[in-house]
Amino acid sequence: MRQIVTSRDFREGFVEMLPACIGLTPFGVVCGVGAAAAGADWLASLGMSAIIFSGAAQILAAQLLAVDAPFAVIVLTCFVLGLRFLMYSAAMAPFLRPLPAHWQKGLAFLLTDQAFAAAVRRFHTSEDRHGAGLHFLGCGFALWLAWQASCMAGFLAGNLIPAAWSLEFAVPLCFLALLAPLFRDAPSVLAAATAGIAVLALAHLPMRLNLIAAGLLGIAIGTLADLARERWKAR
Amino acid sequence: MEGALKLWAVIVAVGALNYASRLSFIAFFARRSMPPLLARALKYVPAAMLTALIVPMIVDWKGAAADFATPRVAGALIAAAVAFATRSTLKTLAVGMAALWLLQWAAA
Repeated sequence: MRQIVTSRDFREGFVEMLPACIGLTPFGVVCGVGAAAAGADWLASLGMSAIIFSGAAQILAAQLLAVDAPFAVIVLTCFVLGLRFLMYSAAMAPFLRPLPAHWQKGLAFLLTDQAFAAAVRRFHTSEDRHGAGLHFLGCGFALWLAWQASCMAGFLAGNLIPAAWSLEFAVPLCFLALLAPLFRDAPSVLAAATAGIAVLALAHLPMRLNLIAAGLLGIAIGTLADLARERWKAR
Repeated sequence: MEGALKLWAVIVAVGALNYASRLSFIAFFARRSMPPLLARALKYVPAAMLTALIVPMIVDWKGAAADFATPRVAGALIAAAVAFATRSTLKTLAVGMAALWLLQWAAA
């Protein structure tokens, strides 16, 4: 254990992620506020950030819990949101294959949007697979620690901040910051536009099923547009 | 289900499913490559799901019609422009919140 933490690769990964940790802080604070609003106590709030370890899923779960959506709907909607991890998992798999199985299982837990980007860069530039694994562990651990701290800060602050400040508006703002860089091609814009229109058009659906229905519709339209674009280019 | 129990059940179930998704191609399907159609569809999960989450938080739904003429819609549009231009969460939050407070104050 000490060998891991004192290794150069681990420390490099840890330090490399510190700017990202600072950038994530507002999002974590908002997630903590959301947990408090959903009626979580400090332990449940910590459980959300430590076990779910995905800001978007934590906020979605907290919001659906707050409107008393059924258990199955909450879990299913969060699952669709988490499907993006399949993409990261597939991209990381070839790099992790030379590592022992328990390393692969441990590192998979730390797979997040930020750690993924940093790790892929390292695996591409370094031949030393074990070192790159340690580097990824350092990245993931730094992000995990910072995430727990910022979510807990939000949970504690959430119980103090007056409702008149409309702090709940910070949630869509954080998501907007995540969404903006995704609009780099027409299929992505179409996917988002479809989901945005559908979620309003289907607002009458019970149990907040409009979220998952609109998400799936958006994914379908984005995929179709992507296929059509490829056909068009191939002609 | 009772509140605290439901909350913990959600934490465990969502945590387990997220971990399963993270582990999928690293452990469960390690010997397979991703089906091309799935790979194509997954690219659009974040854009579609995030938008489906954002819109109902911004647009009020009154009876049978959406109400777009609110400080939150205007604030969100301003914040979206900032998010596009800067890609910074902190700046998006700061400008968006400031815009909302100003617009709410002006509307009151």
